[in-house]
Amino acid sequence: MSRSIVKNFRGLRAVVLQYETTGRDTLLQTLEKLGLEARAVRPEESAAEAAAEAELIFVDADEGIEPIFRKEELPGIPLIAIVGSEAPSRLARVVQARAASHIQKPVRSAGVFTAVLLAMNEHAQRCRLDSETAGLRRRLAGRRLVVKAVITLMTRWGIDDEDAYERLRQDAMNRRVPVEDVARDLLGLGPEETSPEHKHRFSE
Amino acid sequence: MRAGADLAIAEINGSDSLGVEIEPVAVDPGGVVENYVAGARTLLRSHGLTHVVGCYTSSSRKEVLPLFEKQDALLWYPSHYEGFETSENVVYTGAAPNQHVVPMVRHLLGQSRRRGWLIGSNYIWAWENNRILREALGAADGSVIGERYFPVGETELMDLSRQIVADRPDFVFTTLIGSSAFAFLNQLRAASVAEGIDQARDIPVASCSLSEAELPFIGAAAAGHLSSSVYFSTVETAENERFAQAWNARFGAFGRASADAEATYVAVHLLARAAARAGSDDFEAVREAARGLSFAAPQGEVTIDPENLHCWMRPRIGRSRDNGTFEIVLESPTAVRPDPYLTWVQDSEFRRSGDANLRVIQ
Repeated sequence: MSRSIVKNFRGLRAVVLQYETTGRDTLLQTLEKLGLEARAVRPEESAAEAAAEAELIFVDADEGIEPIFRKEELPGIPLIAIVGSEAPSRLARVVQARAASHIQKPVRSAGVFTAVLLAMNEHAQRCRLDSETAGLRRRLAGRRLVVKAVITLMTRWGIDDEDAYERLRQDAMNRRVPVEDVARDLLGLGPEETSPEHKHRFSE
Repeated sequence: MRAGADLAIAEINGSDSLGVEIEPVAVDPGGVVENYVAGARTLLRSHGLTHVVGCYTSSSRKEVLPLFEKQDALLWYPSHYEGFETSENVVYTGAAPNQHVVPMVRHLLGQSRRRGWLIGSNYIWAWENNRILREALGAADGSVIGERYFPVGETELMDLSRQIVADRPDFVFTTLIGSSAFAFLNQLRAASVAEGIDQARDIPVASCSLSEAELPFIGAAAAGHLSSSVYFSTVETAENERFAQAWNARFGAFGRASADAEATYVAVHLLARAAARAGSDDFEAVREAARGLSFAAPQGEVTIDPENLHCWMRPRIGRSRDNGTFEIVLESPTAVRPDPYLTWVQDSEFRRSGDANLRVIQ
């Protein structure tokens, strides 16, 4: 299935975590030309705060900006690494942060659009996969309950497993809820604890 | 392009008003991509030049760009192109995609032509233009009936022409270049005549590159094709009258002045004015002086956008005639801001239809 790509980034809020360099100016100018609302933040100045309101983060991978490279500090925001040094210690952090794309130093205007486009589309793809995975996980966890519910129905009504499952499925369809929830109710269990769902902005 | 530059240089050197004298050094890479780097090196290093006017294809421009960045030199690029670039080492004096591709799409949709056949030479210019058209047609509930690419220089297009005539699209959009374009226009016309179809009326061929320079090569089937361009030799301005006169006197043998000739003429004039304003030929001084600079060009006033160094220009749609010129059927009332990344054009606008006028994009 082909899905059309995101290619217009007008109004997207971007934060560039980098000290003053000519490359940073080039980057900001190019982002502006692309229609993004970009601003630079000196890394030691509340990087986390700046990141909180951003929809896209550029970070200088050569600088000692640690918090930003810790995954828990990055709640579902795509990251683009600005890479100078190719030493593995620097690149390891880029890998750990799951940078969605990168820009090579010295930064030229050429390549910025590609980096933004790759990052936003890669991120959207990851978001889709994440929510798919979460769904699968939920269903997997509910399998045991479904089996239990099927057995309960079989003994209660004297029907076979196919019919029992079909009843669960019908009920789920009528109520428009997952079959796992129907099983839960049938077994007299409370509603499932909702897992903290990631908020993904600009993912579609 | 060379002729357009020569005209401008003669004008600048023949007048004292700017206080600028241009002494040109020419290199001809012969259209071979590999020769452009060597040519640019000769100009920038051996001759120590800072300003170069030239390059036609995007591939040649991309090839030399790193050299210009390294040498702090400015390329004055006088060709319309597919966009998606904003180098601080280039001043772009040809149309950006929102100034020729998008207006053509609007024009076709405005005539309720929603079913298109897309045909092109197999390279970036064709792919990107067709991408824009395909998405616009999608948004307008139109459809692409067929899409085919051919190697540059392919002239056996009769089977395709018959197929297109059998499909009866509302229009054909072509990005074929050179001999392929000439062959196609003739073969499509022949295939239409064989079926008793008035091709120019029923299956118009639209492009963003057909110019006066090419019409003589098409021969009998030269008339009735749509082209989107910021310049046609038939633009009615006092500047164009002067330009055409000078052109015909010196280069009349090439046919009428075309968009590429005019864009090159404009590039050289803008360069001279930027240098005059800067008071030097220094790379950065001239580039900064170029921002916001205007020139009363044959096509009308052209202004360099201070931000992206492309030009504000007026989109026009022309229909070719058998006398080697274009009848201008639509003209934007104002200059349109260049939008090389199509940041400000939205698919949703193509959902509207029935608007036969060129609107100001911005």
